Amino acid sequence: MTETPTALAEPEIVATPAPGPGTMIAFENVTKVYDPNVVALRDVSFVIEKGEFVFIVGASGSGKSTMIRLLLKELEPTGGRIFVGGRDLGRLKGSKVPLLRRNVGCVFQDFKLLPNRTAAENVAYALKVQGESRSSIRNKVPEVLSLVGLADKMNSLPDELSGGEQQRVSIARAVVNHPPLLICDEPTGNLDPDTSVGIMQLLYRINRAGTTILMVTHDREMVDKMRKRVIALEGGDLIRDERRGSYGTE
Amino acid sequence: MVFAESLRSLTANLSTTVAATMTVLIGMFLLGLFIALGTWVLSWSDHAAAKLRIKVYMCTDATCPKTGEATPAQINGVRVKLLDTPGVKPGGVIFVSKEDALATMKQRNPDLVEGLTSNPLPSSFEVTPQRAENVRMVSNSIRNEQLPGVEKVRDGEKVADRIIQVATAISTFFLVAVIVLVVASTLLIANTIRLSIFSRRREIEVMKLVGATNWFVRGPFMIEGLICGVLGAFSAIFLLLLGKAIIVPAILDRFEADSEVQAIGFGWNALALLLVGLLLGAVGSGLTLRRFLQV
Repeated sequence: MTETPTALAEPEIVATPAPGPGTMIAFENVTKVYDPNVVALRDVSFVIEKGEFVFIVGASGSGKSTMIRLLLKELEPTGGRIFVGGRDLGRLKGSKVPLLRRNVGCVFQDFKLLPNRTAAENVAYALKVQGESRSSIRNKVPEVLSLVGLADKMNSLPDELSGGEQQRVSIARAVVNHPPLLICDEPTGNLDPDTSVGIMQLLYRINRAGTTILMVTHDREMVDKMRKRVIALEGGDLIRDERRGSYGTE
Repeated sequence: MVFAESLRSLTANLSTTVAATMTVLIGMFLLGLFIALGTWVLSWSDHAAAKLRIKVYMCTDATCPKTGEATPAQINGVRVKLLDTPGVKPGGVIFVSKEDALATMKQRNPDLVEGLTSNPLPSSFEVTPQRAENVRMVSNSIRNEQLPGVEKVRDGEKVADRIIQVATAISTFFLVAVIVLVVASTLLIANTIRLSIFSRRREIEVMKLVGATNWFVRGPFMIEGLICGVLGAFSAIFLLLLGKAIIVPAILDRFEADSEVQAIGFGWNALALLLVGLLLGAVGSGLTLRRFLQV
């Protein structure tokens, strides 16, 4: 935990420290312009340390999704540099992108599960792609599924699961490799409030175990309750970066 | 591991598998049919063209009143000259003596020969050109030599022209047909594969997001395409075999059974189909995937 108890009632802008060995993500003056002059991100800089839990908030079109796609190297920034786990994504060769993605767990609003595979097979796929042995897959999959509370639903297809359960499967898939970083793109966006609380508790536990979590969300109540670091975007600009922030300005 | 993945997706997407296999089947069946027909016709026209000979008739007393019967020296001179003429097939000069000609005539039309007191037939040379198309050229050059003792040079003009025309037309037609067919079935198969991949692009996106390498995603698709290609090609070969066993004997009775006229061997044809099927399946899906892998 890198949170310092110095944060007082007054929200403060976190000074951007230089990326060091404890840095998980660093954006350095990142700008992304889509083709006919649509600016998605404008000169955005911030640093996220290992073990942090950070919310990214902002209206639709504020650049949140672009930020996530940049982190996964689905897109290249127009300007600036991005570091993930100390590696400069601009210098990462295309053939190394799969390696990057195996070290970054992803959870999406629409779960992105493979529809014709059971919960266990969906989780196992993430292990298969990196050539994990059968026996190790057999060990790890039930373990992580029981961690997310789905030990009894291992052989269910995604269609047979509720939204909350599907999201748990996708979280299990994201963390089964023990990635140091977990990126969540509105993980509770499709879920009812009670289910959302369960998912947040699960993410909180994962964070406590040492995984850095970057979470994009629209869930005002959740952000206000958690009192974690909040980075706010608006129209492509970083407008707020608070240690113990809330969804809106007070 | 990759193989298991592809088997599973083959069975999971049975309808697209069947569609792709059928497409390959139709394409390969038509291709095989055209290859067989085309090579058969080509062989027939080659055979017909090979029959084209230039006849060089020597003088007899009756046909050349001035010079009289060709002397053995003249005949020898002509033989040497013919062997030297460019465009003549090596060993393609055959001498037919008066007596041979009469014997042949006796066999074909005994009535005509009966009661002949002397042999009115000329001795002659049968000259085979190296290429059937050159028959005109060769006969003209022999004619222009104006060799002593030669009465006339005949090249079966009209028949020759006709056969050559037909042969060229047929071979062009079949070449074009085979090319069109290959292109058409390639497009058809690529399209079918694209559909099957398009319906699974979400799946591919997910695979890429959990860190699958391009080859890990591509492998199962390519093996799938390969299996479709092989299945389709094998069914096509089976159908062709059936056709060969049932239809060909029925038709062949109507043609003069000439063992020299033959289509390309069935084994080669089948091998070609199999290879094309394999290539289409694997390369088709591999190439089509490229667009969807850019995640």
